[in-house]
Amino acid sequence: MSGEHPIHQPHSGLIDAAASWLAALDAGTADLRAFEAWREADPRHAAAFAEVASTWRDLDGLRLSRDDLPGGDAQAAHVEARDVDVEAVEAEAVASPERRHFLRAAASVGAVMLAGGGFAYRANARASASTKVGERKSLVAAEGLSLDLNTDTLVYWREGAPARLWLERGEIAIRLAGGGAEFTTPAGRFQLRSGTYNARLREASCELMVVDGALSDTTGRQITAGQVGLATSGRIGLQQRDDSELDRVTAWQSGTLVLTGQSLDYALAEINRYLPSKIVIGDPALSRLRIGGTFATDNPSEFLQALQASFGIRAAVSASGAVVLTRT
Amino acid sequence: MSWLRDIDRWFMAEVLPHAAVYRARAARLCGPEEAEDLVQEAYARVFQAPDHRAILGPRSYVLTIVHNLALERLRRASVVRIDMLAKLDHLEVRDAAPDAFAVAAGRSEMRQLLQLIDALPPQCARVLRMRKIQGMPPSAIAEALSISVSTVEKHIAKGLALVTKARRDHNASVEEACPVNTPSISRTPA
Repeated sequence: MSGEHPIHQPHSGLIDAAASWLAALDAGTADLRAFEAWREADPRHAAAFAEVASTWRDLDGLRLSRDDLPGGDAQAAHVEARDVDVEAVEAEAVASPERRHFLRAAASVGAVMLAGGGFAYRANARASASTKVGERKSLVAAEGLSLDLNTDTLVYWREGAPARLWLERGEIAIRLAGGGAEFTTPAGRFQLRSGTYNARLREASCELMVVDGALSDTTGRQITAGQVGLATSGRIGLQQRDDSELDRVTAWQSGTLVLTGQSLDYALAEINRYLPSKIVIGDPALSRLRIGGTFATDNPSEFLQALQASFGIRAAVSASGAVVLTRT
Repeated sequence: MSWLRDIDRWFMAEVLPHAAVYRARAARLCGPEEAEDLVQEAYARVFQAPDHRAILGPRSYVLTIVHNLALERLRRASVVRIDMLAKLDHLEVRDAAPDAFAVAAGRSEMRQLLQLIDALPPQCARVLRMRKIQGMPPSAIAEALSISVSTVEKHIAKGLALVTKARRDHNASVEEACPVNTPSISRTPA
């Protein structure tokens, strides 16, 4: 860069690279840090990615309008609704494609609402999103506020300055741009600056990680980038962790569980969060085994096969539907 | 798409929709061969802006950058095309009124996207349709077609890149059909 303008900049090559990143992000196979590093490295990368993302978003319009291309005023309202709702609709549709027709109807209703002064309603109401056990979801809650919901999660938000966000159940990744936000959990209320965070409820506590930015409790205690805090009754206690923690905590966003020598007890507690039918230990001696590796959270058989191969642990389905582990 | 930052969403909403206008302006100033390169350079500058939210008229802002970059390039060029320089002297940086063609382009956008998908290599088109029109997740597509998820990913990346490039080419062809900078409809931006 530095004021030079390369005559033969491979722009089409940048589009290829950006499209590969987007496809990997979409499939959940991307290394998020490597992606951020690539995007930060050069403003041309950022521009190419935004251009590809724009095509990606516009293609979503086909899902809403393939059979009924609207015209005239209906088109304008339709486009408005698309900007606001398409990502939420996308998250739903990915979860259950068979509900597409219902969703298309819902999107049309959204269009009418927006055209008919539905904005006031949107501004005052608390919106919500949730995931079932084993489900993940990404959505843009408000301008500058995007969320990833992990398994079995319930979250509410309200637009405004500052935006407000409530985590009722489960775990979320928060990406906040522009202004700050107020974040309320059963373990206390926190102020977030613009940045990237991960929050997970654990019993009456909330584990907070700052990937980027800063977060403070009502007493003014603050944690910053790279730090993890456990909040209880409104106060943050700082926890010192090693660097690998960041990857481990955020791994769920790409559908993986990273284990670095934790006990089988712990490993099962983690993987069971994603499974409607839980895996239980049938032989108490097994619980102290140490496990390492990276596993897909949506496919427990991979994890079970690893147990069988490494430790000779057998899995059997009990009458209640639970998977019971015993030593062969 | 939680991987989009605020600046990306802003760029997609405020800057990119006028791509054909920037492209047309760049082509008039620098010639069609360098036009896309100039526009991309301008986009990169937009991403370097200290506070994008402070940019009141993103469209005029980008046109101004295009204009300045063109001027810079012409001054550096060892052989200056006399017709280009003449144009540059006469053109002030001013924004055209919302162009009739831009509105028309929006109307036909969905049909255009469908045509672009149809023009892709067959397997690539098939995967992209399953992902974006039918809304199937990549893992379900992999299963349905008996291919790996990483192959699905490659088809999607390829299709997405080809469609994005084809839209750029479309922007370039719009400019030939409808010149933007007709003085009678020009106005100074607010």
